[in-house]
Amino acid sequence: MLQILLNGIVSGLLVALPAVALSLTYGVLNFPNFAIGSMITFGAYIALFFNVDIGVSLFVAAGLAAVGLAAVALLIDRLVYRPLRGADHVTLLVASIGVYFVLENVVRFLFGSDIRGYDVTVARPHRWMGLRVNNEQILIFVVAFLAMVIVWFILMRTPFGRAMRAVSDNPDLADVRGISRNKVIALVWVIAAALCSTAGVLIGMDGIIDPLMGWNYVLPLFAAVILGGIGNPLGAVLGALIIGIVEEMATLVLPTTYRQAVSFVIIVLVLLLRPHGLLGKPRISR
Amino acid sequence: MIGYLTAILVVVLISALVALALNLQWGQAGMVNFGIFGFFAATSYVAALSSLAGYPLLISLVLAILTGVALSALVALVSARLREDYFAIATLAFAEAVRLFLLNETWLTGGANGLPGIPRPLSAYSSGQSYELLFFVMALVLAAICFAFAEALTKSPFGRVLRALREDDLVAATLGKHVLSFRIWAFSAGGAILGVAGYLHSSYFGYIDPTQFGAFVTAYAFMAVIAGGRGSNTGLLFGAVSVMVLLEGTRFLKDLMPFLDAGQAASLRLILIGAGLILLLIYKPQGFFREHRLRVDKGDTK
Repeated sequence: MLQILLNGIVSGLLVALPAVALSLTYGVLNFPNFAIGSMITFGAYIALFFNVDIGVSLFVAAGLAAVGLAAVALLIDRLVYRPLRGADHVTLLVASIGVYFVLENVVRFLFGSDIRGYDVTVARPHRWMGLRVNNEQILIFVVAFLAMVIVWFILMRTPFGRAMRAVSDNPDLADVRGISRNKVIALVWVIAAALCSTAGVLIGMDGIIDPLMGWNYVLPLFAAVILGGIGNPLGAVLGALIIGIVEEMATLVLPTTYRQAVSFVIIVLVLLLRPHGLLGKPRISR
Repeated sequence: MIGYLTAILVVVLISALVALALNLQWGQAGMVNFGIFGFFAATSYVAALSSLAGYPLLISLVLAILTGVALSALVALVSARLREDYFAIATLAFAEAVRLFLLNETWLTGGANGLPGIPRPLSAYSSGQSYELLFFVMALVLAAICFAFAEALTKSPFGRVLRALREDDLVAATLGKHVLSFRIWAFSAGGAILGVAGYLHSSYFGYIDPTQFGAFVTAYAFMAVIAGGRGSNTGLLFGAVSVMVLLEGTRFLKDLMPFLDAGQAASLRLILIGAGLILLLIYKPQGFFREHRLRVDKGDTK
C-alpha cells in the first residue's frame, strides 16, 4: 500500500512539472496548449542529442535542453502565437495542434521513431523500511520539488511573477498599468520550456524515449490542470499528485494498459461536477 | 491508372465526409470536436465487425451510422454545456479512451494488429478495375446523400438556430431555444455522417488498425473546414479536395528527395500538415468561401 502511494507520488510529480507549465501558459495566453506533449518530447530529445551523440553528462545535457527548448518555444511564439495574439481561443488551440505536428515530426525526422535511452547506468533499487525505491525516483522527487520551489518563488516573490499574475488575471488592466504583455509571455514560455524539458529528461530516465512519449502525457496533464483549477499552478501540482496516486491505485483493479483511462474519467467527472476545479474560483462566463 | 485515380478519389471522399461532419459540429454549431478521430474509429470498427460477421452492406452501414449517432449524442449530452476549450479537451479525452479500448480489447478489435480481411461490399457484381469504379460510384452516391443532408440542415431553420447558438447561446436561450437539445442534435447529425465515413473507410481498405485513427485526422478535418470557410458546405468540398490533393501530392516528396528514408518522408508530410494548418490560421482564417446566409430579395420585403 505504501509502495503504491510512493509510486503514485513520484509519477504525480512527473506530471506536475509540465502541468505547472500548462497552467501558466493557459493563464497568461488563455488557451489550452495541446503542443505541451511535444514540448516534453522535444526537450527529451535535445538532451538525448547532447548526452548520447555529443557525450556530455546527462546533468549538463538537461541544462542545455532547457536552454534549447526555451529558444524553440520563443521562436514558436514569435512565428505562430504572436501573429494570432488577438484571435479567439479556438483559433489558438487549433494552432497548437499544428505546432504539435511540427514539433513531434521534427523529432521523428531527425531521430527516427525507434525507442532510445539515455547514457546512464542503472543502479539497483534501494530497500528502505520495506519500500523499494530506485535512484530515478529519488532524483525525480528532488528535482521536481526544487523546480516547483523555484517556480513558486518566481511567481510569488519577484516583480516578474507579479506581472505574470497580473496579466493572467486581467490582461487589459495590466496593459494599462504599463506591464509589457509580450515580455511576460516570453518569460512564461521560458519557464514552461524549462519545466517541460526537465520533465522530458526525467521521464526518459525513468522509462523510454520515443516520439510519442509526450503525447502520452497530454491527457494526464489536462486532467491535472482541470482538476486543480485552470490557471492555478498550485492547483495543477495538487491535481497532478492526485492523478498519479489514483492511476497507481487503479492498477489494483484495472489492467495497467488502462492507466490513461483514469485521466479520461477524471476529466469527465471534474467537468461535470466542479468545472472550476478543486482550487479554482468559479468563473462567471457564458 | 483508373485504379490509382479512383483510389485517391475514394480517399478524398472519405476525408471530405469527416470534414463535413466537423463542419456541422464546429462550423455550424460551434462545438470544437478535437476527438473526431475517436468517433471515426468507433464507426469504422463497428462497420468492420458487422461486415466480418457477415451482415450485408445496408445493415453494416446502418449499424455504423447508429454507432456514430449514439456515441455523439452521449458525448454531447455530457459535455455540450462546457466552454469551447473544455469541450475540445473532453472530446479529445474521449477519443483517446476509444483508442485505448481498440488497442487493448484484443478479443474484439484485434488490438494493435487490427482487423484484416473485411469483406468488400458489392463484390459479387464486379471485380478488378471495374470494381474500383463501382466502389467509387457507391462512395460518391453516399457522399452526395450526406452532402445534401448537411446542406438541407444548414439551410433549414434548424441550421439557423445552430448558427445563433454559435454566435451567442445566451441570446438563443433567451429566445426560447433549448440550447442543449439543439447541440445534441447537431453533434449527432455529424456523428451520422461519420458513420458513413467509417463504413466507407473500413470496407474500402479491407483492413483497419488503431494507427489509422490519430490526431492527424482531426488536423486534416480542421484544415479542410478552415480552408473552405467555416460553415460553408460548398467551400468545404473545395477545402477537403485541395487539402487532400496537397497531402497526396506530398507523397511524391520522396521522389523529389531520394535521400530521405520512408520514415523521414512520412514525418516531413506531417510537418507540412502542421505548418499548413498554422499558415491557414494566420493568413486566411476566414477561408476561401463564405458560409450560407439568408438573402432577402427586394420583392419579399414589402
